[in-house]
Amino acid sequence: MKKIAILFALFFGLMLTAGSATAQCDSIASACAKRNIDPSFISDGQQYRALLVNSDETAEFHVTFYGGTLYRLAACSGMTDGNLIFTIYDSQHNQLFTNSQYQNAPYWDFSVKNTVDCIINAQLNPTTNSGSGCAVVLIGFKQQ
Amino acid sequence: MLKMKTKPLFIIGCAVTVTMFLVAGCRSNSASTDKSLQPNVAKVDSNNPTLLKINNQIFSIPSPIQTALLIKKSGYPYNKEMLNSSDNYSKYDTKYKKALNLGIYGADLGYISLYDQTQDALSYLASIEKLATDVGVSDMFNATLVKRFQQNMGKEDSLLSMVSEAFRRSDAYFKDNKQNDISSLVLVGGWIESLYFAVQANNSQKVNAKDVVTRIAEQKISLQNLVKMLQPYNDRPEYAKLSKDLASLADVFDNVEFVYNYIPPTVDVKNKVTSINSTSNVQISPELLKQITDKIVALRNQIAG
Repeated sequence: MKKIAILFALFFGLMLTAGSATAQCDSIASACAKRNIDPSFISDGQQYRALLVNSDETAEFHVTFYGGTLYRLAACSGMTDGNLIFTIYDSQHNQLFTNSQYQNAPYWDFSVKNTVDCIINAQLNPTTNSGSGCAVVLIGFKQQ
Repeated sequence: MLKMKTKPLFIIGCAVTVTMFLVAGCRSNSASTDKSLQPNVAKVDSNNPTLLKINNQIFSIPSPIQTALLIKKSGYPYNKEMLNSSDNYSKYDTKYKKALNLGIYGADLGYISLYDQTQDALSYLASIEKLATDVGVSDMFNATLVKRFQQNMGKEDSLLSMVSEAFRRSDAYFKDNKQNDISSLVLVGGWIESLYFAVQANNSQKVNAKDVVTRIAEQKISLQNLVKMLQPYNDRPEYAKLSKDLASLADVFDNVEFVYNYIPPTVDVKNKVTSINSTSNVQISPELLKQITDKIVALRNQIAG
């Protein structure tokens, strides 16, 4: 009977943890937008996020960047900067950018001349994340 | 004694299993959607053998405002007739229809804001507020937004930022509340309306048609992403019908030729800007454009009623 009670307690405790992880994603996204998306950029109206179990796991974001546009990408996990490593590949898997070469910069701008379809891979920074975390990517744009 | 020691281990084991189950379950729905597309096994990226991927794919759909901006830039004059009438909101009697048309009205409001049409903007905002309330995101389109919108009339960038931010917050709400199906419908509605704008602009022959035609052809990948995004909900008849219609459109788009040429990017570290220098070119025949136009007009009118 005691064991069942313990299991139930654990189950509901973990349910609460999972719920707070989802809410945490939204808090991270709001803070990320405030810190890293300049008001001159218009949001694309979406909030991309994935809960990553550890720093080995990768979230894959499929994105089309239109030509003649300046994009800002902000990538966050947690309430401080530098916790998410993001790398952009084109459709032929050529690497176009990785923030790991720039101190895991939480945002970067991309001046796109011609329309490209890309994949953004996002991973938790293993040096700052020992466990799971919510990966959030936000995209803003302005005409050039 | 040994048996007693294994009991806590059993409980911890159960707890770990439950944790893993819950963590997997609370991932974004977009991520979970692809379990139906690919076998649920870990795979190794061939370019990075140490990278473990577990079906964690998320699809982005470009903002409808970007196509509206292109249409205005191409010289297309304001055309209210092209929009879904703001009075139609009362015809949408299910959450499915409301969500799709919330996306359509959102694209319409973005388009109207670009042309600084104050009265139209307010009537579309009122219809959006009603649909938003019915799908549970009334907070994002409340009286405060309407007031801010009125105060910023004439400031195109501010209006577009407000509309986009309200839709981003709605998207977040749907994802927080495990309503990714509704989030997907709003995106589908916005995408269909923006493509509808583009084919109408092209038909009018008053615009710099080349850029608009290119934008139409460039929708090939976004459409494929939409079809994948809806896939997890295809056990419901209305979603299955929508997916079938979009898949049929995607079949036509398959004939669009997209030629991509990789050119290494250049980086301005000081300003944190990378220039993507690769070139791309799309080829679309007039016959193919006609087929796409016919299909998108039929689909949009069927959804908007």
